[in-house]
Amino acid sequence: MLLEIGVALLLAKILGFAFEKLKQPAVIGEILTGIVVGPFIAGKLFGMKYLSPVTEGLGEMGIILLLFISGLEIGVDEIKTAGKKGLLTSLFDVSIAFLFGVIAGHILGYDIRTSIAIGNIMVATSVGITVRTLMEMHALHSKVGELILTVAVLDDVLGIVVLSITLGQGEPAMLIFKIFIFFLIFMAAVLIIRRMRGIKIGIPRLMLTAAIAFAFIFSAVAVDLGLAAVTGAFFAGLIFSNLPQRRRIDDFMRQMGEVFLIPLFFIWVGASFDFNALGDMGKLVLLFIPMALMGKIIGCSAGAKVCGFRARDALAVGVGMMPRMEVALVVVTIEMSMKIFNDALAHQVLASTILLVIVSSLITPPLLKIVYRGESSEKQGS
Amino acid sequence: MKRYHIVNLQELHEKKVRDILDDKQMWNLPMVEKDADIETVLSILTSRDHVWVVEKRGGKKLCGIITESDILRLISPTRLPKYVFGKKYSISLQYGTARRASDIMHKQLITCSPDETIGNVLMRMVNARVRRCPVVENDEIMGEITVHYILQILLGKR
Repeated sequence: MLLEIGVALLLAKILGFAFEKLKQPAVIGEILTGIVVGPFIAGKLFGMKYLSPVTEGLGEMGIILLLFISGLEIGVDEIKTAGKKGLLTSLFDVSIAFLFGVIAGHILGYDIRTSIAIGNIMVATSVGITVRTLMEMHALHSKVGELILTVAVLDDVLGIVVLSITLGQGEPAMLIFKIFIFFLIFMAAVLIIRRMRGIKIGIPRLMLTAAIAFAFIFSAVAVDLGLAAVTGAFFAGLIFSNLPQRRRIDDFMRQMGEVFLIPLFFIWVGASFDFNALGDMGKLVLLFIPMALMGKIIGCSAGAKVCGFRARDALAVGVGMMPRMEVALVVVTIEMSMKIFNDALAHQVLASTILLVIVSSLITPPLLKIVYRGESSEKQGS
Repeated sequence: MKRYHIVNLQELHEKKVRDILDDKQMWNLPMVEKDADIETVLSILTSRDHVWVVEKRGGKKLCGIITESDILRLISPTRLPKYVFGKKYSISLQYGTARRASDIMHKQLITCSPDETIGNVLMRMVNARVRRCPVVENDEIMGEITVHYILQILLGKR
């Protein structure tokens, strides 16, 4: 198993770099690594056994770290300064994307819990590929670029909230109570840490240890309350985003996450890819991917239009929000671990999500270049 | 070659921050208001290695810092990390998203109070890996502790 992890990390680095050179997300290279070292290729050819409880556990730690970094880098300030337009567009975006997922599940004849789980996967956008494209087009500073960035920030937050509500365990009234308790704990932690800012404790690297510890403790608290562990990790990141040591914690977490634990999560996702699922997933994939893309286009465009954007610019916002990546894969992994899908369906949904990640990354840049017209965006007074 | 009188380090560590601050330093502090445009910030940084960001022009209410290393990141070709969250990595001079001081400043600061000992402040600077620490009282900047400033005191130049 040690050999498998070592080989996988090296290969993930090389393939990730190769994909970056091809102007594609490194994450796809990491997932591909998982497929290569998984049971269907290296498993059959060399007898490698990558999938094990240890690699699964390391992948889960990667998820915690990923969501902690997400909370830390988004920060409370960015959420506070999002503005009405960002919030309104994001609400349209999240609700319509989620609804499209639920409808897709319903059309395919799945029960309501499974349909909701599919809706959850469609909510969070990964804005990295869009930011790269907007940079190439010199449109990052445009109104369209600014709205995409703001909505993407809120998207992650709302995605976590939707996930907590829809996948939370227990009766609805009890669940609302538990979410309220979690929110109280979060607010208490924010206040305590704010009060402690003035207190000087001379223990070297205390904040780094505290940050990792809190990421896990908050995740455990969230799980105990029937919410997802990632909810806890994300909110722990938000708490630490207010500290003077934020930059140092971020650098440390990024190094540890990017080099070791987060690639292991994506490798694990790839290794869990079941080629046998490909045969039966035709109907699912034919509906899943278009609904995921259309949900974002319609949701974000409608939100942007309501906020006063011209139709073409509103459409550009929708197209720019199509890519799915890290959080979608995290959500599907959580849902698999919660046994929401039966075995066969779980592999089909995972495979569909991986295909969604690849398709949305490939088609967003050219589509955005076709749809976006810089001139109209600059003239608009909003 | 002129030899400087090196003060007793132990003595320096035990001194209060207030004891080593002088008015001249305050007059000479690099400061800019948070709404200042990016050109103003860059022109200050042509001669200084950092600038404190305050709420209003002429005010002292501290809200951030911009350092040489922030500018280095701004002027070098933009490179996004593997996993992108928030707006942090979209702030760029090249792509026009860095327009004002508030776009690029660090809001969360490692600070010290005038009544702390120099030893404590230096230890905090080492732990936090910062080379400058604002002296803050009632949210207002009173001065700064920098490596250069401490060296000047250490060598008896101040």
